[in-house]
Amino acid sequence: MREKIAKPDEVRRWPGEFPVGHRYTPGVAGEAFFTALRDRGAILGSRCEACSYTYVPARLFCERCFAELAADVEVGPEGTLVSFTIGFVGVEGEPLDRPVTLGLVRLDGADAVLLHHVLDPAEEPLEIGERVQVVVRPERQRTGSILDIEGFRPAADESD
Amino acid sequence: MGRRVGVVGAGMTRFMRRAQETGKELAWEAARSALDSCQLTLADVDVVCLTSAPDAFDGVHMKGEYLSDGAGGVGKPFIRTYVGGGSGVFTAIQGWYTVASGMFDVALLVAEEKMSSTQPHPQAAFLTIFDSILERPLGPNLLWIFALEMNRYMSVYGLDKRDIAAVAVKNKRNAANHPAALLGQPDITVDDVMDSEVLAWPVQRLDVSPISDGAVAVVVASEDAAKRITDRPVWIEGVGWNLDTAYWTNRDLVYPEYVENAARMAYEMAGVKEPRKQIHIAEPYDPFDYKELHHLEGLLLFDRGKAPEAMRDGVLDRDGDLPSCPSGGLLGVGNPIAAAGLMKIAELFWQLRGEAGARQVPGTPERGVAQAWGDLMQVGTVVVMGVDGGRVGGGGVAAPPAALPVIQTPPYTAGGHPLSDQQFRSAVGAVDHAVDARYAWDAGVAIGRFLDGLQNGKILGRECRGCERVLVPPRMFCERCFRETDGWVQVEHTGIVQTYSICHVSWDMQPLDSPEIPAVISIDGSDGGFLHKLGEVEPDDVRIGMGVEAVWRPVGERTGSILDIAHFRPRRDG
Repeated sequence: MREKIAKPDEVRRWPGEFPVGHRYTPGVAGEAFFTALRDRGAILGSRCEACSYTYVPARLFCERCFAELAADVEVGPEGTLVSFTIGFVGVEGEPLDRPVTLGLVRLDGADAVLLHHVLDPAEEPLEIGERVQVVVRPERQRTGSILDIEGFRPAADESD
Repeated sequence: MGRRVGVVGAGMTRFMRRAQETGKELAWEAARSALDSCQLTLADVDVVCLTSAPDAFDGVHMKGEYLSDGAGGVGKPFIRTYVGGGSGVFTAIQGWYTVASGMFDVALLVAEEKMSSTQPHPQAAFLTIFDSILERPLGPNLLWIFALEMNRYMSVYGLDKRDIAAVAVKNKRNAANHPAALLGQPDITVDDVMDSEVLAWPVQRLDVSPISDGAVAVVVASEDAAKRITDRPVWIEGVGWNLDTAYWTNRDLVYPEYVENAARMAYEMAGVKEPRKQIHIAEPYDPFDYKELHHLEGLLLFDRGKAPEAMRDGVLDRDGDLPSCPSGGLLGVGNPIAAAGLMKIAELFWQLRGEAGARQVPGTPERGVAQAWGDLMQVGTVVVMGVDGGRVGGGGVAAPPAALPVIQTPPYTAGGHPLSDQQFRSAVGAVDHAVDARYAWDAGVAIGRFLDGLQNGKILGRECRGCERVLVPPRMFCERCFRETDGWVQVEHTGIVQTYSICHVSWDMQPLDSPEIPAVISIDGSDGGFLHKLGEVEPDDVRIGMGVEAVWRPVGERTGSILDIAHFRPRRDG
């Protein structure tokens, strides 16, 4: 039943691919979120009063109590850095020319945190708990995408 | 057999060609509608069972985790099951054993599918259903499997295609009364089906259920909990499931033995000894019209080859002696795969409670059977549901205690917003992505030797002395005897056409320049066979039972592939 493979190159193989693509539409709450971001540069969340919790991005329902929610809260543009990481290698393990910094930020008025790039980290190291603000691209560059947000940068008027 | 388990609530979204809602949002719409139907909240739910068919449809790997919040699974015991098209009915089986075991009192069952995400066509997700080495090089199309099975079913019993087309007509008409249906058509006729585009003969456009988005949810509870929740639980009386061989070319395509095996298991548990008398409503799986008839026979409700006659005689109509797919089924309500199966459970719940509105079957049905089919087209999942002594108003049932509200649960408020193709293309925030997944499939021990044989112009099989079979395609173990096979045998390069189709479309439903003739060929000198194509023959001249021979590529062009046989052609040696 077992056969030793002496010459691996001679193993019979058949190459193939999985010719599947997808179009992901953002749904009811997602459309409201991306429309507000594109048109007004605003970041919308959804407040569940029963659970005293504000989701970001906006959601159609509360996952805790199943209440129907609306995209009814504008959050940010400032917030607090909850955690961050600095990536030095790409998905294939290759070194990156410029390290990439990703941050989790709790925007003011929100309970959930938002993941995005941290832009041009200052020469001083980032610190968890520091104040940051959202950088939204200029209106003419916005298309209704999570990349309409360029990223977070340390807040201009950082208070101690 | 464990604790008694009852269905106490059900809800669903509309079934749509393209839903505005995300998969999570669909799951939530269905789940909250099921909870609302029995006046429960998420806090009352002890465990969540989710089902959804291939991840490739939604385009989300580990779709169970992705959908968990919409299904109500956050902070609760949560599990996803998956048996392909059989998933929707299977999740009711899972709900049964989850509660019957005594571990949980109230389970929320959710089935979701969002097929519109898949580009260019959801069939892409099915291509890997075919054997990567022996079948995919032939350029198969999912329709082939159905067309090949349907042709054999029709040919062996000498069936009239019009009696099969009548199933599509019945279901699309039934669906006209379903508020969640995608394809209700009160005026459709058999001629409309017979005149629709031929895709892969004998399968025509209107023989097939539509690609759909949607979700369904059902609440099940232990007997004590069920009686607290509603005055009229619908009991899960029996469950069964079964698999046939994964070598679909080695299967009896005329009769679904796996459905019979699953049905026997469920009937025994339910104490059903005479299914045709004791089952009053059937919701068999109907992704194609012939499948409903095929499955009714597997469910032991009609003799083999006799379900089409019942269709012709009106037995399966909503007001017939055995209403079949009174919901409208997959052909009428729609086919968001996993959700469509659970829709059948929901329909039995509504029908047996007398709450199906315009779809209500007449009389006092006490027991129904729901069935689905899937995996590699060889799983049967069966659930028998019943009420104590007939539905309210049917006599024999005590009035509900005054303290319990009489809850109405028809799906009047099916949620969901259909998108037009233009709205789908222009949706704000939409993202397009192609899966860049490439593979090199190893032939393995048995198929590696088989391919060596093909390169040398020989068809090889493996002999099993346990069951005295010669296995083609060969395998190093016998799946029946579960022992190592005994040796290599060279078999003939001739065979018999078991079934065939004349296919006019590619896998992504583009028209072909000239039709292809895929065929299942049993190989002489063996107990098996495989899928290949016929050539050097006019489509009209092909017959089931025809003797054929392999046409080999020139020696220098062979590569050790199933394509070393160019095609099979009618035998020339008489």
